[in-house]
Amino acid sequence: MAFDFFDPTREFLILDGAMGTVLQQRGLPPGGQPELLNLTDPALLRSVYEEYIQAGSQVIYANTFGANGLKLARTGHSVEEIVTAAISITKESAAGTGVRVALDMGPLGELLEPMGTLPFERAYELFREMAMAGEKAGADLVAIETMTDLYETKAALLAVKENTSLPVLVTMSFEERGRTFTGCTVSAMARTLEGLGADAIGLNCSLGPDKLAPLLAELCRNTRLPVVAKPNAGLPDPVDGHYDMGPEAFAAALLPCVEAGVTVVGGCCGTSPEYIRRLKAALAGKTPAPRTYDDTCCVCTPVTTCRLDGVRVIGERVNPTGKKRFQQALLENDLDYILDVAIQQEDAGADILDVNVGFPGVDEVAMLPRVVKHLQSALSLPLQLDSSNPAALEAGLRVYNGKAAVNSVNGEAEVLDRILPIVKKYGAAVVGLTLDKGGIPQSAEQRVAIARRILDAALSYGIPREDVWIDCLTLTVSAQQEQAAETLKAVHAVRHELGLQTVLGVSNISFGLPNRPLITQSFLTQAMYAGLTLPIINPNQKAMMDAIAAFRVLSGEDAQCQAYIDRFAEESAPAAAPAASGSMTLEDAIVRGLQADAAALAKAALETEEELSLVENRLIPALDLVGERYEKGKAFLPQLLGAAQAAQAVFEVIRTSIAQKGGTPVKKGRLVIATVHGDIHDIGKNIVRTVLENYGYEVLDLGRDVPPEVIVKTVAEHDIHLVGLSALMTTTLPAMEETIRQLRALPQPPVTFVGGAVVTPEYASQMGADYYAKDARQSVEIARKVLG
Amino acid sequence: MLPDIDEALRYLGGGSHPPEELRQQAAAVAEELAAQVQPRYTYKLFPLVREADGFRLDGTELLLSGQTAQRMLSQCGQAVLLACTLGTKFDTMVRSAQARDMARAVILDACGSALVEQGCDEAERDIAARFPGLYLTDRFSPGYGDLPLSLQPAICAVLDAERRLGIHVTSSFLMNPSKSVTAVIGLSDKPQMARIRGCAWCAMRDTCTLRKGGKSCGL
Repeated sequence: MAFDFFDPTREFLILDGAMGTVLQQRGLPPGGQPELLNLTDPALLRSVYEEYIQAGSQVIYANTFGANGLKLARTGHSVEEIVTAAISITKESAAGTGVRVALDMGPLGELLEPMGTLPFERAYELFREMAMAGEKAGADLVAIETMTDLYETKAALLAVKENTSLPVLVTMSFEERGRTFTGCTVSAMARTLEGLGADAIGLNCSLGPDKLAPLLAELCRNTRLPVVAKPNAGLPDPVDGHYDMGPEAFAAALLPCVEAGVTVVGGCCGTSPEYIRRLKAALAGKTPAPRTYDDTCCVCTPVTTCRLDGVRVIGERVNPTGKKRFQQALLENDLDYILDVAIQQEDAGADILDVNVGFPGVDEVAMLPRVVKHLQSALSLPLQLDSSNPAALEAGLRVYNGKAAVNSVNGEAEVLDRILPIVKKYGAAVVGLTLDKGGIPQSAEQRVAIARRILDAALSYGIPREDVWIDCLTLTVSAQQEQAAETLKAVHAVRHELGLQTVLGVSNISFGLPNRPLITQSFLTQAMYAGLTLPIINPNQKAMMDAIAAFRVLSGEDAQCQAYIDRFAEESAPAAAPAASGSMTLEDAIVRGLQADAAALAKAALETEEELSLVENRLIPALDLVGERYEKGKAFLPQLLGAAQAAQAVFEVIRTSIAQKGGTPVKKGRLVIATVHGDIHDIGKNIVRTVLENYGYEVLDLGRDVPPEVIVKTVAEHDIHLVGLSALMTTTLPAMEETIRQLRALPQPPVTFVGGAVVTPEYASQMGADYYAKDARQSVEIARKVLG
Repeated sequence: MLPDIDEALRYLGGGSHPPEELRQQAAAVAEELAAQVQPRYTYKLFPLVREADGFRLDGTELLLSGQTAQRMLSQCGQAVLLACTLGTKFDTMVRSAQARDMARAVILDACGSALVEQGCDEAERDIAARFPGLYLTDRFSPGYGDLPLSLQPAICAVLDAERRLGIHVTSSFLMNPSKSVTAVIGLSDKPQMARIRGCAWCAMRDTCTLRKGGKSCGL
């Protein structure tokens, strides 16, 4: 019979305690690889399990915490070998007792992208290998534990769900302030993992039960799943390594966690069978505490949970429709431009960002996940993936870190059947448009009927009611004047009769009319009053955000009007520097790093000057001036970069101007830069790139930890004549040398330049590099010599 | 704890008189950083066992070999292993800052370098207070002198630094999060002289731009 966390005959489920602590007490030196004991000393492990079973553990964790392909790589043993041995030892110990055996999966030991260099897909493969070996060896369930990165946790959970039929318990480690090391919050953990299909979730390690209790209470409010507590025996002493909480105190401190709703308990570092025995005794006669689930819809990233208990703004700008510059960025793979558009919306106060990358000539299935990863590397807002392509949606949701929304489905059965299973699998929220094969119904009643149909379909797929958002559709008021009222009526009914979140792209309303912002703003206010909770707007339009700020005051959401007062207090402060004032020249603005002024002055200059001449005669000489000051030690690095960024603002003006005319972009020449294989610190390389780009060079930045083969391949494919390589550590200099060696073996070897903290002119020439660049400024001189 | 702004400005080069505007910008960045990130550290005490090739930390397989360890620990019966980090939150901040404003990102990076060293200083004060009557050597890290970087994985394993602090070591011995430090501090019952301050001991001695200009960062 399959193991069931919800078994009503069982009130509490008791897990085991620490393995590592007990082994160290029995003489295992710290820092070793305890998984090898599965081969070398099964008797020792069996004795520990038997003690836990006698103490009352109903689930015991096999000794497989670090038995993944990365950590075992240097041991000469395979994952399957260790996992099979471990499960069989655990099963022998549990034989005849009814105790269940868990395959234990801890963190892989390397950080995933974007914090580290391990790709999500590779992490998934490593966990898959373990999970499949575990099921084959006869594990009853999987325990994913001690996780601190939600992304890695997702990879592990997906690997178990997609490749085994085992139930899975997931616990993560939090610090006292309610975050994991990587910043994940309790609510983000709960909302994401429940959506992905975990069977029980909870907290383990890091702290004692006293410190975990408030976090466990928060977790209980954020999930319907059974909640697990497997705390440490307090905190360790740095001198003798002993934990400061004894078995009695531990069991007593766990009771408040149980009162908060925890039903699955055990111990982590510092605990022993005695702790489990006391815990079992303390639970005798207790019954599970009642739980209250907060069923307000949430979407999240690991660090930011957006709780939909008021009006929340969905930013609409990451979308190529009608935007030439955005289309160009998509076609050129310019992800940084897209990130920039997203950042502007985050800074303007958006709560969620809609992401649409559908455009002729763009492979959406490849592009959507790339854009999701890139946006999440620097943004903290939740995303709404906007596509009608199921494969693209699945690819995007798969690599999304957190709980996303999907835009959109409609009332057509085929569309619902195509998209809703994907929404359910990845635990997303979904936007339903109130239209179907017959088009957009003219009456509010008909639109509400479609909304009901969408809701029923979602529920039938197991998507919770609160995760269904309905878009009642805005029509252009100048064309169909009576429709504005119908839309508002439908919004009201969906919000107040069905109790669902409501989405509306509002700006359509004012097409074809003068003073569009006035109509749009008025409609937005009416719609929010009718029950609109999720307006899709351009948050950079101040009038729209002002209307929302005002509405939040009038609806009572903005307590004591504080956010409103803050918003307008900032505004009344005098502007730092009036844009393009009086006598400032473009050159001054660049030298002083004033981006807005530089852009405004460039726009003005373009009325009388050609783009290319602006770059050659004004922008570059100004950059040179700052560069020379930096070289002489008279300017600091931030000043050099400030000027580069002002130049970037000018370039953006020039690019937009050229894109509008349909001309070819200004580009001086192309080069490749990369941080070499094994090296993960890349701010130096990024500085070089910023400066080079703002001299007009096209920089193909291959990133960090780049294998020589990738660099060679790029150089050959793109006919590159100049390559810059960066290394920070002595341990990665050999990788730099190898890269140069491979580049020189090409039929037409490119010119190479190298730099980075440990690189010297001597090393550079020994390695066969053509140039040594001591800083970003020198890399410009080199680019000039080589590329002109 | 606020990052030391003078220290951060030193990392940014450009001479001894930073413009007031830059100093103000650095002060604002330092404050924002301190509000979101504080150094965290862990340490562990080990008796030292003298062996032919160096000092072994008792109860582990970790051997501190080479001249640096020899010189630093010659009068010590015990040593503390220390790890300190700003965590991945700092790297996330720098990544986000790089996408918004590269100039600000390098200031943030410099403030982070200052802050993690201050975290080590605090740990050192904590250790000194914990062992009254014993004298501490200067702290020294893998990469200083001839203490090999390849000790990094073993040091982090013995300190359980992945679980305690979230520090990971890559196959090329880099620590991730980027602002992470491991160090050894010897404990002796005799007063210890300062041995490793100054350019001669610095890993940057060949490439430091201050040194090339005939100056020193003062450490």
